[in-house]
Amino acid sequence: MVKSIAKKEFISTLRDSRFMVLSAAVLLLLLAATIVGLHSYKQQQAERELAQTTVNEQFANAADRHPHRMAHFGSFAFRPKSSISFLDFGLDSFTGASVFLEAHRQNSANFSQAQQSASLIRFGEMTVAFVLQMLLPLLIIFLCFGAFTQEKETGTLKLLLSQGVSLRQAAWAKVLGYSQVVALVVAPSLVLASILLFSAGGFEPASNALLRMLLFVVFYLAYFFIFIVLSVVVSALHQRSSTALVTLLAIWISCCIFVPKATANLGATLYTTPTKAQMDADVHEEVAKGIDGHNEQDERAEALKQELFKKYGVNSLEELPVNFDGIRMAAGEEHSSHVYQEHFDELTEVFEKQNSISVYAGLLNPYLAVRHLSMGMAGSDFEHYIHFQNKAETYRYNLAQGLNNIQATRLQYGDKTTRLSNSTWKEFEPFRYEVPGTGWALCNHVVSVVALLFWLLLVCVGGFKLIENINVV
Amino acid sequence: MEIVLEAKQLKKQYQDKLALKGLDLQLQAGEIFCLLGQNGAGKSTTINLFLGFIKPTAGAAFINGLEVATNVTKVKEYLAYIPENVMLYPNLTGLENLALFSRLAGFDYKKEELMQYLVEAGLPAEAAARRVGAYSKGMRQKVGIAIAVAKHAKVLLLDEPTSGLDPKASNEFSELLLRLSKAGTGIFMATHDIFRAKEVGTRVGIMREGELVDLLATSDLNANELEKLYLNYMH
Amino acid sequence: MRIFRILLTYEWLNFRKDRGLQLLTVLTLVAGLYGIYYGTTEVERQRNNIEALDLLTEQNVEEMKEKFPGEADAGDIGYYHSTFAVHHPDSWAGLSLGQRDVNPFYIKLRLLNLQSQLYDTENVNPLKVLAGNFDLAFVLVYLFPLLIIALSFNILSVEKEQGTLPLLLSQPVSLPLMVGAKLSFRLLLVLGLALLLSVVAMVWARVSPDARVTLWLAVVVLYCLFWFGVAFLVAALQKNSAFNAISLLGIWLLLAIVIPALLNVYVSVKQPVPQALALTIKQREVVHGGWDKPKQETLQQFFARYPQYTDTTEIKERFVWRWYYAFHQLGDMAVEDLASDYLHSLQARYDMVQQLNVLSVPVNVQGIFNAVAASDLPAHLGFLQSATDYHTSLREFYYPFLFNQVPFTHADFAVEPRHSFTASPDYGVGLNGIFKLGISVLLVYVVGLLLFRARSAT
Repeated sequence: MVKSIAKKEFISTLRDSRFMVLSAAVLLLLLAATIVGLHSYKQQQAERELAQTTVNEQFANAADRHPHRMAHFGSFAFRPKSSISFLDFGLDSFTGASVFLEAHRQNSANFSQAQQSASLIRFGEMTVAFVLQMLLPLLIIFLCFGAFTQEKETGTLKLLLSQGVSLRQAAWAKVLGYSQVVALVVAPSLVLASILLFSAGGFEPASNALLRMLLFVVFYLAYFFIFIVLSVVVSALHQRSSTALVTLLAIWISCCIFVPKATANLGATLYTTPTKAQMDADVHEEVAKGIDGHNEQDERAEALKQELFKKYGVNSLEELPVNFDGIRMAAGEEHSSHVYQEHFDELTEVFEKQNSISVYAGLLNPYLAVRHLSMGMAGSDFEHYIHFQNKAETYRYNLAQGLNNIQATRLQYGDKTTRLSNSTWKEFEPFRYEVPGTGWALCNHVVSVVALLFWLLLVCVGGFKLIENINVV
Repeated sequence: MEIVLEAKQLKKQYQDKLALKGLDLQLQAGEIFCLLGQNGAGKSTTINLFLGFIKPTAGAAFINGLEVATNVTKVKEYLAYIPENVMLYPNLTGLENLALFSRLAGFDYKKEELMQYLVEAGLPAEAAARRVGAYSKGMRQKVGIAIAVAKHAKVLLLDEPTSGLDPKASNEFSELLLRLSKAGTGIFMATHDIFRAKEVGTRVGIMREGELVDLLATSDLNANELEKLYLNYMH
Repeated sequence: MRIFRILLTYEWLNFRKDRGLQLLTVLTLVAGLYGIYYGTTEVERQRNNIEALDLLTEQNVEEMKEKFPGEADAGDIGYYHSTFAVHHPDSWAGLSLGQRDVNPFYIKLRLLNLQSQLYDTENVNPLKVLAGNFDLAFVLVYLFPLLIIALSFNILSVEKEQGTLPLLLSQPVSLPLMVGAKLSFRLLLVLGLALLLSVVAMVWARVSPDARVTLWLAVVVLYCLFWFGVAFLVAALQKNSAFNAISLLGIWLLLAIVIPALLNVYVSVKQPVPQALALTIKQREVVHGGWDKPKQETLQQFFARYPQYTDTTEIKERFVWRWYYAFHQLGDMAVEDLASDYLHSLQARYDMVQQLNVLSVPVNVQGIFNAVAASDLPAHLGFLQSATDYHTSLREFYYPFLFNQVPFTHADFAVEPRHSFTASPDYGVGLNGIFKLGISVLLVYVVGLLLFRARSAT
C-alpha cells in the first residue's frame, strides 16, 4: 500500500518537467562543485606538500651551525588538507595554512584563503557541502510543499483515504517516494565524490577516510530526511499550496541564512576575544617571571645552577658534565611554552564558548547541526584546526628542546662558535601531520549528533502525530 | 435483508452551527438511497461522517455493522466513494491511476482487467494510456467510477456524482448503478437531481438544515408529487 | 491619479489588517537595528583594541628603559622593542565591516626582517568569520530583497487566486496601473524602512557627513528599486503565487549566493596567489643564510642600498648588531619582487571581481558599501603598504644609531616614529558601481514592461 503511493509520487515527480529542470541544475552544480573542490584541493595540497618538502630539505641540508642558531632557523608546519575536505572546505579557507616554528616563539598560522580574497569570498564558497546544506533543502521544499495541499485542493486526498489508506500511511508513502527522488539527485555526485576520493588517495589511512566519508553521507541523508518529513508535515498542516510554500521558505531562510549568522555574531558579542597583541604581552610578562634562556644574570637561572652544582657535586659551570647553556635554554623553553600553552588554551576556550552558541542552536536548527558534523567529518572544523596548531606547537617544542639537548650534551659551556655538522640535523624527524581518527572527530560533535537525532525523532514522532489529526475536508 | 449502512442519532456540531441534528437511517444491501437537499443542508457532512473524514459530535455511523469513528481504516474495505468532482493524479495515466487506487484497496488486477473496468465505466480504450492531466471532467468522473466499481464494495457513497456529465453519460451512469444494486451493493447518493433520484432510487430522503424531514419510497411517488415535496421543504 | 491614490489607500488598509506582513516588517527593522548595533560595537571594539596598543607600546618602552637603564645599543632596542602599525577603521566601517574581521587591523613590528612580520594574523575565531558579519550591509544586501520578495511575490497572482481580479478589472483600472500601485505602496514601505535604518546607522556610528551620505542613500534606493523591478518582471509572467515565490527566491539565490560562489571559484582559478608560501620560505633562507656568509659580503650588498653608511672597516667581532640588521634587510630585499607580486596579484583579484560584478547586483552593491566604508581588500593592501613604509622609516630612524655607532638614550624613544593609518574610501569603485547598478535597474524595468506588453497582447 505504502509502496504503491511511494511509487506514484516517484513517477509523478519524474514526469514533472519543472522539477526535472531544477534537479538537473542542482545535480550539475553538485558535480561542478565536486570537480572544482577536487581541483582546488589538489592545487592547495600540492603547494603545501611542495612547501613542506622544501623546508624539510632545507632543515636536513642546512649548513653546519651552532644548535641554537638552528633552533632559530626553525622549520615550518604546513597544514595538509584532509582528503574529504574537498567536499567541505569548512573553516579551511578562513584558517592559516602555515606556521613558522622557531625557538622561544609561537607564531600564528598565516596566509588563509580569505585573507587572499576580496570580500567576495564572504558570499560563500561553491562546495559540495554548500549545495547539500543550502540548495538541497530548497529543492526538497519545492518537491514536497504540495504533498498534501495539492491532494486537498484537487480532492484526491479524499479518494485516497476512501480506499482505506490512513493519513499516517499516506504521509510515510510520500516521504518514501520523495526520498527516492532526492537520492536520485544526490547519489551521482556522492558516488563520483567517493570514487574521486579513493582514486586520488589522501595522506591519511584509507579506512579513516572511508569511515569519515560514510558518516558524512549518513549525516546528510538524515538531514535530507528531516527536511523531507518537515516539508510533508507542513504541507499537511496547510490547506493551500501557496501558504505551505511560503511557510517552508520562511523556515529555510531562518534556518540557512538568518540563524547561522546571528548565532555566530551573538557568540562573538557575548565572549570577547583577546587581541593577539595583548595575549603576547601577557605571555611575555608571565614568562619574564620565569627563566630567561638568553639571560645569564637571571635570578632563577642562578637557582637552577645551584641545584645542578648540588646534584653533580661540583662548584663551577666548567666542571659540570653537561653544558649549562643548553640546560638553561631548555628550562626557559619549558617555562615559556607552558605559559604560552595556558594562554592558547584560554583563547581556544573563548572561541569554543563563542561557538557553543551555534552548536546548541543546532537543537533548534538542523542546518547548524549538519554543518558542524559535515565540517567535522571533512576535517575542516574548528577542532581539527586547533588539533593541527597543537601538533605544530608540540613539534616546535620538541625540536627546540632536542636542539637544546644537543647543546647541553655535545657543546662546552660558553661555546657560542662551534658549528655542528649538518648530519646532526638529519637526526630530527620532519614535521608530519596525521588527521586524527574518526572517533575523535565524532566525539567533538556529540551535541550536533544528538541534535540531528532529536530532529529525526521530533519530525517522525511529533510530525506524524500532527498529520494524523489534520482536517481533511 | 442485511443492513450495510446505518446512522444512529448522528450529530455534527461545527463551531457555530449544528450541521446534523440526530440522523437515524438504515440502508439495506441492494438499496439505492438518494439524499436530496439544498446546498448546506448537511448532505456532504453526512457523507463525510460515513467516510470517517470527520468525527461525529454525538451518535454513530456504521458501515457493514462497524462503527466508523472507531474503525476509520477498517470500514474503508467495505465502501467505495465517488466525489462530486473526481480529481486524479495528473501526471499518471488513467490506467495507472486506476491501478494505483485498486492496489491501495488491496486488488492487484492485471492490465486487461483494469482496461475492462475502464471501458465498462465508459472511458474510450485509447484514452486509458493518456495522462489524466489532459482529461475532461467527464473522463475523470468515469475513471472515478471505474475505481469504485473495481473495489467491489458493499456500500457505494456518491456525492453529486452526475454533476458535469452530459445526458448520455448520466444515463449510462444510472444503468450502472442499477446493475450494481442488483448485484447487492448498497448505494448512498447525495444529489440535487430529483428526477434522476426518482429514476434510480429505491428510497428518497429529504434533508433540510441538518434534519431528515421526509423519507419516502420512490415506488409510492410519481415525479409530480416528488417535486411538490421538494419545493415545500426546501424553499 | 485618483485611482492610483485609491489603490494605495486600499493597500494600506490591507497591510494594517495583515499580521504576517507587519511581523515581517518589524522583524526586518529589528534585524536592521541589530546589524547597526553589531557593526558599530565591532568597530568600537577594534578602536578600543587599537587604543590599548598605545599602552602596550608604552609598557614596552618602560620595560626597555628598565632593562637598559643608561645608554643602550640601538641594536638591543631594535631587537627587544616593538611598536605597532595600526589600521584605524573609517567612521563608515561600522555600516559595512567588509574584510576588517579577517584581515588584522594592526601589525606588531620590530626592526627585524619585515616580511616575516607583515603577514602575522590576529586572533580570529574561524567559525565566526565563516558565518560572516551581521552588519547593516548584510541586512540591506541579503535580507531586504527577501522582504521585498515576501511583500510582492503575489501582488497579481493573489487577486487571481482569490477571484477578485475580474471584478477589479471591470472597473476603469488597467493591469499595469494596478500592479504599479501595489508595488508603489510596498516600495514606499521598504524604502522608508531602508532609509530610516541607514540614517539611524549614520547617526549612531557618527559617520563623517561627506558625499558618501548621498552615495549610500542612492545605492540603497536603487538596490530596492532593482528588487522591486525583479518582482515586477516575475509578476509580468502572470503565473500563480507558488511559481512566483519559487522564481523570485530562485533569482535571489542565484544572484546573492550561487553566482558569487561561482565567481569566487573563477577568480581564484584565473588569478592564483601562490607566491605567499614561496615568499616566506625564501625570506627565511636568505636571512638565516646571513649568519653563514662572510660579513663583508653581506655589508657590501647592504651598502649598495644605503650608500650613506658605507664603511669598509672589517668587522672583527663574532657578532655586531649592524651586521645582523644588514642581513635582515637583505632578506627583505631578496623577496622584494615576490612580495610586490603577491600584493599585486591580490589587487588583481579585487580588480577582476570589480569587472565581473556586473553578473550579480548584490556583489556589486556589497562592493560599493565596502568601498565606501574602506573595509575591503584594497584598504588592507593600502595598510600593508603603509606598514611597509613605516618599517622603512623605523629603519631610517635606527640605522644612524647603528651604523654611526651612536648610543641610544631614553630621550630617543620620544622621537621614534609612530604609525597611524586610516584607509580612504574608494569613490571610483562607488561611482562605477552605482552606474552599473543604475543600468541593471533600468534593464529589469524595461524587460518587465515588455513582458507585460507581450502578455497582454496575447
